[in-house]
Amino acid sequence: MTYSTENTLLYVEDLSVSYGDKTVIKDINFVEKDVIRTGNVTGQVIAFVGRSGRGKSTLFRALTGLVKPSSGKVLIADTTTGIDNDAKVVNEGDIGFVDQKYTLFRNKTVSQALMFALRNKEITKEEKEVKIKEYLHQWGLEKVKDQYPNELSGGQRQRTAIIEQIFCSGHYMVLDEPFSGLDVGNIQDVKDAFNLMTASHEFNTIIYSTHDIELAVELADSIYVIGYPSIEGKLADYGTIVKHIDMKEIGLAWKDFGLDHMEVVKQIKAAMLSS
Amino acid sequence: MKLLFKPFEKVSKNTRLLIVLFWVVLVVTFWFISSMGERHLFPSPQQVFTGFSELYNEGLVVHVASSLFLCLKAIIIAVIISLIFAYLSTIPVIKPLANTLSKLRYLPLTGITFYLTILINDARTMQVWVLVVFMSTYLTTSLLSMVSAIPQEEFDHARSLQCKRWEVLWEVVIKGRVDHVIEVIRQNLAIVWMMLVTVESILVAAGGLGFLIKNSDKFMNHGRIIALQIVILFVGLSIDFILNYLRKTFFRYSKI
Ligand SMILES: Nc1ncnc2c1ncn2[C@@H]1O[C@H](COP(=O)(O)OP(=O)(O)O)[C@@H](O)[C@H]1O
Ligand SMILES: [Mg+2]
Repeated sequence: MTYSTENTLLYVEDLSVSYGDKTVIKDINFVEKDVIRTGNVTGQVIAFVGRSGRGKSTLFRALTGLVKPSSGKVLIADTTTGIDNDAKVVNEGDIGFVDQKYTLFRNKTVSQALMFALRNKEITKEEKEVKIKEYLHQWGLEKVKDQYPNELSGGQRQRTAIIEQIFCSGHYMVLDEPFSGLDVGNIQDVKDAFNLMTASHEFNTIIYSTHDIELAVELADSIYVIGYPSIEGKLADYGTIVKHIDMKEIGLAWKDFGLDHMEVVKQIKAAMLSS
Repeated sequence: MKLLFKPFEKVSKNTRLLIVLFWVVLVVTFWFISSMGERHLFPSPQQVFTGFSELYNEGLVVHVASSLFLCLKAIIIAVIISLIFAYLSTIPVIKPLANTLSKLRYLPLTGITFYLTILINDARTMQVWVLVVFMSTYLTTSLLSMVSAIPQEEFDHARSLQCKRWEVLWEVVIKGRVDHVIEVIRQNLAIVWMMLVTVESILVAAGGLGFLIKNSDKFMNHGRIIALQIVILFVGLSIDFILNYLRKTFFRYSKI
């Protein structure tokens, strides 16, 4: 499958994050570019895997501008200026973020929350209502639109959180472990949501973490393994990128899961175990 | 029968009712028996009842109203002060102030009344402010822990939806925790109630439940004291119940 890459969408350089004296992640460098396939709107799907506590969530909070890096920077494409390859430092709110617990406003019902997410959009109230209705229908949330988060199931909360972010932020969406604690139906829903998002705009970029390596290999076109690096034969105690697999390069992206994918799964598992 | 003595055992509604009834009967019987002899700790039920009807004839209702009004005034002021401190404690410069206010609860009562007497001449105002100072320290303590118990994810969620910092404060801490504030008030109400006797002795002319106790105390009228205790207990429990009811009806999402 042929493809090419254009504008840089995400540029991370020498990123490190510490809490107090404890360095959680360090020396993180990577670049992700807009992927172009002729006759196809192709967004980017980037997966991060790694064992617990290696700093995936911390990295995501830095990517979304929710925590200040101790060093280094995160740049995203500035699509508002119209200039090609214009970049800016990421700020809180620029990148959508759905956390591990699918946090919502505890005092807002589903439709109130979605209305809130649209508050800064310059469209009339009627247009907002139509849009909300459309999404509620499409995402199967009509029945629960007047319920509060504590009256929703995990899947419903997650879908509400995703729509909120679609409404509010630009082309980027970060999801921390979007597949954990969901049943098969919900997992399919999230996969469909990924497809919908990536098919709706060239720049749309999904970044997610998962403990399900098969799901990373199946969905992503770029996979990073976060782990403790080995320095002179000893494991360090901060997380960094220990392996990168570009699924596009090896011709496995946008394909049904097959034997070649299994091989990649094995490689990733090995990389995880040794870090 | 043996099941009733087993930890964590679930019992039916009827059984629960029976258990409560059993205890009530036991307590009442104990009361009757223990107040029968010549020398006794508790006044007999009849004495309490006479105490109660005497109090009623002397204008118990007015005294209850006076106490409630005093408390209400103090609570409103104290809640406003503590809320301001608690909400603004999210701002680094204000945080030490809020923490200090909360620590003042370790000050003995006399320390505070002493300075308040210097500052305030009017006895009624004095009563209100003694209560306000005390309540504020406790309320601020609870409200501060309410604020610090908000998980980081909730702030991050608001920030990821492009809320400015002040908007985060408004949406997550202020609007998002109104039900907790009611709960905090409910839990701290008992403190005002406890202070009532002390405070009402500042201005005897204004009357109130605390004043009545003090008065009965002087004459060693046990029947009246117990009757009053029961009245105070019930008024307090009713307010407690009302606040809890308000929280549950107006905030459907509130499961505390
Ligand atoms: N707010 C924090 N303060 C201090 N340490 C933290 C904080 N958040 C995470 N950590 C630490 O950072 C490390 C990485 O955590 P996390 O990013 O959640 O890992 P992962 O998502 O890969 O499981 C853990 O050791 C955790 O204890
Ligand atoms: Mg995590």
